Amino acid sequence: MDSDERDRSLDGTTAEALRAAIPLFIPAIPFGLVLGVAITDSAMPTAVAWSTNLAIFAGAAQLATVSLAATATWLTLVATAAVINLRHVMYSAALSPRFSDQPRWFRWVGPFFLIDQLFALTSLRTEMSGPRWRRFYLSAGIFYFVSWTALVTLGLVVGSSIPTEWRLDVAPAIMFAGLVVLGLVNRPGIVAAAVGALVCLVALDVPNSGGILVGAVSGVIAGYVADVADERRATARAS
Amino acid sequence: MTAFAAVTAVLSVGMITYVSRAGLIVFLADRPLPPNITRALRYVGPAVLSALTVNLIAGGEGIGGVEFVEIAALVVAIIVAATARNLIAALVAGMTTLWLLLWLL
Repeated sequence: MDSDERDRSLDGTTAEALRAAIPLFIPAIPFGLVLGVAITDSAMPTAVAWSTNLAIFAGAAQLATVSLAATATWLTLVATAAVINLRHVMYSAALSPRFSDQPRWFRWVGPFFLIDQLFALTSLRTEMSGPRWRRFYLSAGIFYFVSWTALVTLGLVVGSSIPTEWRLDVAPAIMFAGLVVLGLVNRPGIVAAAVGALVCLVALDVPNSGGILVGAVSGVIAGYVADVADERRATARAS
Repeated sequence: MTAFAAVTAVLSVGMITYVSRAGLIVFLADRPLPPNITRALRYVGPAVLSALTVNLIAGGEGIGGVEFVEIAALVVAIIVAATARNLIAALVAGMTTLWLLLWLL
């Protein structure tokens, strides 16, 4: 009786997780389709590029991996992905207290699913804990994993029948630019993006797409410096 | 790119992605990151994604690989993203600009 009741409340949690997860998936649809098309254009064999869904499961890192394959070396590719993934370190840092009362297997398995949407959903659910939070996390995470893979596969099938004159190869760049703009919330962020783009432009002739790293590192330093400067100015004004 | 090089690249990126997600959860259960690090990490997203955009537009051909129509599409997409705050609208606007210009020029 007791365990029966607990199971029913967990089933409710699964439904709740899916209801919360579906709306956040909608903005990922064009991204997934673009990635599918990029997989057909990739310098990698199509099956290997498709396997990024299972091995990486991170839209931006996947798109970078399949579209840089033509011009970058292994080292640049991995380093670029590492830099792109730094925001996951932030998610990991923010969520780690929520994992402290969870079983060991879940601490190892859970992070695999930690995409932006899942972080947004689960970090907000402070009223949940223990098995209920775990069920919520895994339900939403598995939903994203399955739908993402299906979506990218659809993009791949549709993409291979689209003529090259449509120039869908430009879509990933537009997507990344849009992501930058949507992520800009303060002045230091704008400084980081502008410096990152300009330095990369100047460093375009660095071989093997190394300019990305030079640009990214310069941008992060510029953003950090601007952030410190803004804070100093704010405290100076306050005192 | 050979199949072997591609598989190695995908597995390496997969491993790095997993480590960046799991590292602090598995190994550092409750210890927070130093505030300076957290502060710098905030600017990783904009810096790396904008550098990536520039690189993809050049397509591995240096500054000579940048076409006017691509820049125009990108500028329109950026303006739409900034005003509408919507990724789908930005993508549609950018691609429509690209197609219109390719058809006109």
